[in-house]
Amino acid sequence: MNLPEIFLKIEDIRTHFPVEKGFLFKRRLGVVKAVDGVTLSLRQGEILGLVGESGCGKSTLGRTVLQLVHPCEGRVVLEGRVLTALRGTALRKARSAFQMVFQDPYASLNPRMTIFDTLAEAMQAHDKVPREELPGRIDALLRKVGLAPQARRKYPHEFSGGQRQRIAIARALAVGPKLLVADEPVSALDVSIQAQIINLLARLSREMGLTLLFISHDLSVVKHIADRIAVMYLGRIVELGPAAQVIEKPLHPYTKALISAIPIPDPRREAQRARILLPGDPPSPLNPPGGCPFHPRCLYAVDRCAQIVPKLEPFGQSEREAACLRVKEINGC
Amino acid sequence: MDSSTPIASVAPAESEGGSSFWQDARHRLWQNKLAVFGLVVLSILAALCFATYLFPNISGYTYERQNLALGPVPPSRAHWLGTDALGRDLLARLLYGGGISLLVGLCATLVSLTIGVIYGAIAGFAGGKLDMVMMRMVDILYALPFAIFVILLMVFFGQNLILLFVAIGAVEWLTMARIVRGQVMAVKRQEFVEAAHALGLREGRIIFRHIVPNLLGPIIVYATLTVPEVILLESFLSFLGLGVQPPQSSWGVLIKEGAEVMEEYPWLLIYPGAVMALTLFSLNFLGDGLRDALDVRGSKD
Amino acid sequence: MPLLTVQNLSTAFHTRHGVVRAVQDVSFQLERGETLGIVGESGSGKSVTCYSIMGLVPQPPGRIEGGRALFGSVDLLACSRRELNRIRGRRISMIFQDAMTSLNPFLRIGEQLIEPLMIHEKIPRSAATDRALAMLDEAGISEAEHRLKMYPHEFSGGMRQRVMIAMALITKPDLLIADEPTTALDVTVQAQILELIKKMQSELGMAVILVSHDLGIVSGFCDRVMVMYAGRVMESARTDDLFYDTKHPYTRGLRNSIPALQMKGAELHTIPGQPPDPQHPLPGCPFAPRCIHAVDYCAQEEIVLVDSPPQHGTACLRVQKENLSV
Repeated sequence: MNLPEIFLKIEDIRTHFPVEKGFLFKRRLGVVKAVDGVTLSLRQGEILGLVGESGCGKSTLGRTVLQLVHPCEGRVVLEGRVLTALRGTALRKARSAFQMVFQDPYASLNPRMTIFDTLAEAMQAHDKVPREELPGRIDALLRKVGLAPQARRKYPHEFSGGQRQRIAIARALAVGPKLLVADEPVSALDVSIQAQIINLLARLSREMGLTLLFISHDLSVVKHIADRIAVMYLGRIVELGPAAQVIEKPLHPYTKALISAIPIPDPRREAQRARILLPGDPPSPLNPPGGCPFHPRCLYAVDRCAQIVPKLEPFGQSEREAACLRVKEINGC
Repeated sequence: MDSSTPIASVAPAESEGGSSFWQDARHRLWQNKLAVFGLVVLSILAALCFATYLFPNISGYTYERQNLALGPVPPSRAHWLGTDALGRDLLARLLYGGGISLLVGLCATLVSLTIGVIYGAIAGFAGGKLDMVMMRMVDILYALPFAIFVILLMVFFGQNLILLFVAIGAVEWLTMARIVRGQVMAVKRQEFVEAAHALGLREGRIIFRHIVPNLLGPIIVYATLTVPEVILLESFLSFLGLGVQPPQSSWGVLIKEGAEVMEEYPWLLIYPGAVMALTLFSLNFLGDGLRDALDVRGSKD
Repeated sequence: MPLLTVQNLSTAFHTRHGVVRAVQDVSFQLERGETLGIVGESGSGKSVTCYSIMGLVPQPPGRIEGGRALFGSVDLLACSRRELNRIRGRRISMIFQDAMTSLNPFLRIGEQLIEPLMIHEKIPRSAATDRALAMLDEAGISEAEHRLKMYPHEFSGGMRQRVMIAMALITKPDLLIADEPTTALDVTVQAQILELIKKMQSELGMAVILVSHDLGIVSGFCDRVMVMYAGRVMESARTDDLFYDTKHPYTRGLRNSIPALQMKGAELHTIPGQPPDPQHPLPGCPFAPRCIHAVDYCAQEEIVLVDSPPQHGTACLRVQKENLSV
């Protein structure tokens, strides 16, 4: 049984934003290395969870994959097509294959357009759909995301956050994408609604064979929906592996700390577990430390950690990868 | 079990059609008593003034018909607001002048609107160096003393009503440009615009379907608030003798004439002043009301 | 005597579109040194409850429609402004979700830190500054001397929150109200801040009211938990009891829909439907439309919080009448 082909390949992407100051002649003050060397492959139909805290670059990576932001180095290849080489109309037309669901359901829908108009516009962006067919197709789409067809004559502000997010998902699906990037899609929603949207995304992905890149800062959400998890820190991936394994037996010190910091809604377990408290604050990508980006806060750091930048390497024979010089020692091998 | 359609008892049956932003805004405006008052007053005044402007003889007296034998008389049954030193009916002059003042107000506002929106939109969309250069030019122009500029224009090109529109409009566009540019930049950054890009929509469609409709709110508000400013400017110029010339009247002219004789014939100042103040208040109430109505309410739940 | 006794607090907002009853008939007690967690989603009224106690609800459009909040022997809802100002900031302190908007961007941190001391304790500036330095140290801010002269925007989110905690605790209050103090922070920083609050609490022996939407945070931190929905208290119990002997379907639903506790692979449990519209309240139990256990009287009878076993209150009509197990 041969492995499913690589559907999406992210090759050594670096997205840097220069920080400039000045009137007519700009002075370069520094560079924000939002994404600093990320390589990932996704199989078709896979759900990859991308987690990390603020400033780690996960949102920028998502936007780079979707060509909403241009990387300064590296390539993104989707089904053999080099997306980073596309420009202008070719890029615009290619967009139907990859879409995004944004974080803020209150800002990602045009408040002046009805749901019908929003969805119709999306449907007709790449495909000439005859007028008469539109209502039928839109109704089907609304039903697919769990909304009543009556919704189409309403405006975004008449819906709750969870419902708006469903509309945003419908819009993304309207163009018929194969890859969906969800950037913190449930972070702005109430807990009881989050579960609804997560279920929806998982179901749609399965039913439609979508490949989903799910970006979140919330590991517990990601654990549930993702096949694999990639943990990001300061623009780099520090750990990658099957979701359950990454959560139950994290390899990288940062992942360990991240997991131990998540509150468990179970008083007895919460009281028993040992917390790893990271000193200091998440660093700013403007001034990254030398060597391993995590070493200033790492409990296991030694001298060479400040000098060598660890590469993301396979751990033993498994599918797991970690970027830590001491990964074997720390995990008792 | 993913039931997300609102269970009927939770969301009481809503009407089939949605309420658009404009319908909501109209409703909010209607509830604002001051704004409605302003709107009503303005409508009545405007109707009277324009009617008199177009048909100067409508009340039986025109703005220029003199009655030297009569001279200045206080309000009476024949002349409801009295007459001036040359026996001209004040009411007729007031309404006719109102027509001119309002006309100047509207036209100059339109001129400033056109220039300001185009300029501001270009700067806002272009961003970067072009935007910076354009805005610095606006800053420089702001520093020029308006009054002197207009006086120079009037002196060089003669006194002409059209020129008056242009002169005033040419000064008022600056603020409109700033407002439009700011609004364009703010809207450009909104997530739904980014979403439109992500969908692969054409640039033109994004601009006209997504960005422009979201600009209209502040533009309407500011335009409504520009009209009273222009009327004031015009009256200031006329007061200086630079704007509208007698025998044509505008409120500025009337106030000037009234001020000159206010001790002896106070009604010649009181009525024009009162009517102008009423108009300016009404416009301001309306403008404020529009601003409140069009203010995108944070519709977060 | 309990430190704080809230009885039948009701707060409503009279808006152009109608009356929003943000808090209805909320009662609870807090002992010295105790930690109470108030849990709820948006619109539950958890924040408005705290704001009402502190007198921070703008009146109009808000109005305290009834109830008492006895702090010691003073009713915070009925006392004079002067009395309230003597207590606020000194004996009861509050910290908010977004430290950036709660700190004055125009004043240096040092100024803001010593302000409560200067107002409430009337000590000279030098003494106040010494205490401010000590406080920053306690709060885990290094280079305190240097930081005193900095402005809020020069700090990171986590540090700003620490500064806010320092400011709130510098007068050694009896009660700290923390309104979603970690929601805007990264999870590793969140852990630090919660540890800090715990540490300060044990040092000062003060009571804490922690408002959050996160049951996880509350489970590790609080002695008692109160669950709110649509402005009302649905369940109130000791933390262990709330989690292991749940007596309200909403609490159960909330716990069930937390991804962290669920097995991977299956669909997540959800609470069906949408939160209620505060402007159109329905009769009966506000949770009834979404409750899997609801029967007809649930939508008809008004709910009341009743202690079924002592110290464990529930507002579920079916639990009260039929001893339903949720």
